[in-house]
Amino acid sequence: MNEPILKVLDLVIKFSLRGRILTAIRGASLDLQHGETLAIVGESGSGKSVLTKSFIGMLDNNGWVDSGAIMFDGRDIAEYRSEKEWLTIRGRKIAMIFQDPMTALNPLRTVGLQISETLELHQGLRGASAKRRAVEILSDVGIPDAAGRYSQYPHEFSGGMRQRVVIATAMACNPEILICDEPTTALDVTIQAQIIELIRRLQRQYQLSVIYITHDLGVVASVADRVAVMYAGDIVELGTAEEVFYNSQHPYTWALLSSLPQLGIRGQPLYSIRGTPPNLFSDIPGDAFAPRNPRALKIDFEERPPYFTVSPTHVARTWLLDPRAPKVEPPETILAMRRKWRGARP
Amino acid sequence: MSTAARTQEPLLEVHDLRVEFGTRGRPFVAVDDVSFDVFEGETFGLVGESGSGKTTIGRAIVRINETAGGDILYHGRRINGIISRQLDREVTQKIQMIFQDPMASLNERAKVDYIVSEGLYNTRNYKGEADRQAKVEQALLDVGLLPEFASRFPHEFSGGQRQRIGIARALVMEPEFIIADEPISALDVSIRAQVLNLLADLQRRKRLTYMFIAHDLAVVRFITDRVAVIRKGQIVELARTEELFGCPLHPYTLSLLSAVPSPDPLVERERRAFVYDPGCHDYSVHGPVWAEVHPGHFVLGNEPELDSYRRTVDERHR
Amino acid sequence: MSTKLERQASLFTFAEYDAQAAERAGYSSYSYWGSTVRLFLRNKTAVALLIIMTVLLTFTVIQPYLPGQKSPLKIHTSPETGIQLRNVQPSPEFWFGTNSIGQDLWARIWSGTRTSLFIGLFVGLWTVVIGIIMGAIWGYVRQLDRLMTELYNVISNIPTTITLTLLAYILRPSVSTMIISMCATSWWTMARFVRNQVVIIRDREYNLASRCLGTPTQRIISRNLLPYLVSVIVLRLALAIPMAIGWEVFLTYIGLGLPLSIPSLGNLVNEGRQIMMAPILRYQLIIPAAVLSIITISFYVMGNAFSDASDPRNHV
Repeated sequence: MNEPILKVLDLVIKFSLRGRILTAIRGASLDLQHGETLAIVGESGSGKSVLTKSFIGMLDNNGWVDSGAIMFDGRDIAEYRSEKEWLTIRGRKIAMIFQDPMTALNPLRTVGLQISETLELHQGLRGASAKRRAVEILSDVGIPDAAGRYSQYPHEFSGGMRQRVVIATAMACNPEILICDEPTTALDVTIQAQIIELIRRLQRQYQLSVIYITHDLGVVASVADRVAVMYAGDIVELGTAEEVFYNSQHPYTWALLSSLPQLGIRGQPLYSIRGTPPNLFSDIPGDAFAPRNPRALKIDFEERPPYFTVSPTHVARTWLLDPRAPKVEPPETILAMRRKWRGARP
Repeated sequence: MSTAARTQEPLLEVHDLRVEFGTRGRPFVAVDDVSFDVFEGETFGLVGESGSGKTTIGRAIVRINETAGGDILYHGRRINGIISRQLDREVTQKIQMIFQDPMASLNERAKVDYIVSEGLYNTRNYKGEADRQAKVEQALLDVGLLPEFASRFPHEFSGGQRQRIGIARALVMEPEFIIADEPISALDVSIRAQVLNLLADLQRRKRLTYMFIAHDLAVVRFITDRVAVIRKGQIVELARTEELFGCPLHPYTLSLLSAVPSPDPLVERERRAFVYDPGCHDYSVHGPVWAEVHPGHFVLGNEPELDSYRRTVDERHR
Repeated sequence: MSTKLERQASLFTFAEYDAQAAERAGYSSYSYWGSTVRLFLRNKTAVALLIIMTVLLTFTVIQPYLPGQKSPLKIHTSPETGIQLRNVQPSPEFWFGTNSIGQDLWARIWSGTRTSLFIGLFVGLWTVVIGIIMGAIWGYVRQLDRLMTELYNVISNIPTTITLTLLAYILRPSVSTMIISMCATSWWTMARFVRNQVVIIRDREYNLASRCLGTPTQRIISRNLLPYLVSVIVLRLALAIPMAIGWEVFLTYIGLGLPLSIPSLGNLVNEGRQIMMAPILRYQLIIPAAVLSIITISFYVMGNAFSDASDPRNHV
């Protein structure tokens, strides 16, 4: 197995909020291989945005990395404290694009200038050569008449075009890793398909490694090589896309998949999870998902499960994989997925 | 969602509805001569992308937006434009709306008790304080919340719970027809299932009719009986849900369906999305009309297109 | 040993599932007003000034009833010589000294503060109440917007100075004239401000929902809109008070203020200003100016502190 380009080890991130301490990430570990797309799936409050923001030093002022490591380029970048250190990484080696293209772009400056600025800052290009390269990049991301649109303002672009501009700005410095935080959630489904296709093409063209944050499992199935499922600041399941979709092991993943209308049967109620994610201000004994899991074991409330190995590429943090655990039947939807997989494998 | 046999009498009829915004000189046409019916007991879906006009239609029905032309008939009576006070009150009680964003659709400074009772205070549809409290309690229980929540404020609840408070607020009026404007788009994935199940359950128990406005085709396929696809203020196709998904005719519908990702990696590998090009229609000689190409299946197109659609549908049904 | 194994084995059995407990888990203990008060109290300066102002206000009210207080209008003469006790320095007899015609400055200061505060509070309250009501209606009822905006554009372009001067001239200077004229001019700005705030929030979904439920305009304004404007309203109220007092001082400077028989901070400052070139007489300017400054600064700081505290964005 090759060395991963990014490796996160037991990361703990805390925030100070209204005088109390909130543990947003409670010991997450994952790795990103060269050239692959890793999707991080989670709902609000799962910590997926916080986790990736820590990779580029963009945690809010009241947040910090409490323990653990983020290994990139042979260094532990979780140790970085100054802006100067982060600027060697942010935008240059690791770039990030966000959900709302309108707020990511400066409405008072032309689109071309915003890209040229990045080029001047990180690659030392000046004037005409910066402009030439910027036009090149704009056309590369599929903006027609790039030379003309170079001098237009963000509001003159449609939502999908704006997101392309944002991607262009991120790609301007040939980063090694591109983090996409819900890049298509605010876009119509037809535009979403185009943006996903664009990112895929750029990935092939530039050998990018991509981290895709989303809550949309359809998008995950479409883009991901590997999937990490997050719940309450922890990664509860990690595996290839096929493994996580067709052979999921964690009850939360089961619940997530079973609640999708695409996989539901008309006329019958969808599998739904009652309650809400836990309060991250207090320490959570055991499995964070236990209170909402109708088939939780007593040990789920007492001791936090370790990662159990399902395959060399698939791990899950659930006591159900312990040999001592009783056999639990996943919901019908999951069983159907398993059957489908067994049928499809050669 | 509802497999109830529908009576032939439409509950809601929309004829050539037109809604415009902006200055009198150059108005922006948000809804452009739209016509459809909704039958009692069914779930009617209205699907479109942003800016298609679907929300505007819903708001025109509940009289939040003014109509510039056309009629909206409820039980055969015109409810748009200027109507009598009594009819206005009736419409307020019988037609209710559920909104999209649970974070914005509740009054943060009011207790849940007031929020849910607001409609009751307006229509005075209760027999005294004790009766009102009982109705609020029942509405909260109906949506799966605890009656003790009535004395709390909205910020103390999660998104899914807040959306359910919004549903309780509509339910307490004892409506017949509920327009759900993207009720689950702003919710987390696992909470969506809760709310969908709740809506289905309420429909069965209270014999409600729904108009479900959405942009998510997967959800629409799951819960609606009939669905209309709307683009830039015009409905381009309308059919029974399974018919539309099984035999889509209009190029826009086809493009929309091709773009929807499926939570199934094997399926995703094979899917190819294509973009809808409005230029594929030539309306210079024959203009587009709204016609029924198969019982219950309507499409917007000119004569040559409609002919080819009819052939496709007949092929399919053979 | 065997009990440990047994315990371990028993842990791998199913736990009881409480669906209602899952439902309750979403509760957060944040309280809007609680956070507001807590944030305000954290601002030590504002709290100190609040205490000072409360003491000051109480004192201005009870001062006349304390023993040994002199009348603010009485001209004091020396019992031996019969000459007026003019410009006496602050002393045990006259705590703030006397002014140029022998009146007790201590009594005048408190009487003046009473008058000025009365004017300030009255005008401030009027501005806020009428300004809010008119502004809310203006902002919410679309048909009124055009008319009111045109009216506002005309009226706001007439300098307040001119209006106040004119009214003082016509109606003759007195406390009620001052109040009437300031009330007439000040509510427009407040109304405009409230109107802008209302326009921002009137089309939010929760207001649409209220319309859908048939809620009448008046209740939408009182229950849906105004509670959101508390932060900005309190700030304007707190600033309106020193502003009204400031206008009174200004009018006194240009000779259209209250007559000397009605002491006010304005004419006390004015009297002091006229003789401030003589260093020994400066106390007649410094003392009223100090009182005026304390009042102005206090309201300003308290208003800002409360406004910041009641802004939900600061409640993190």
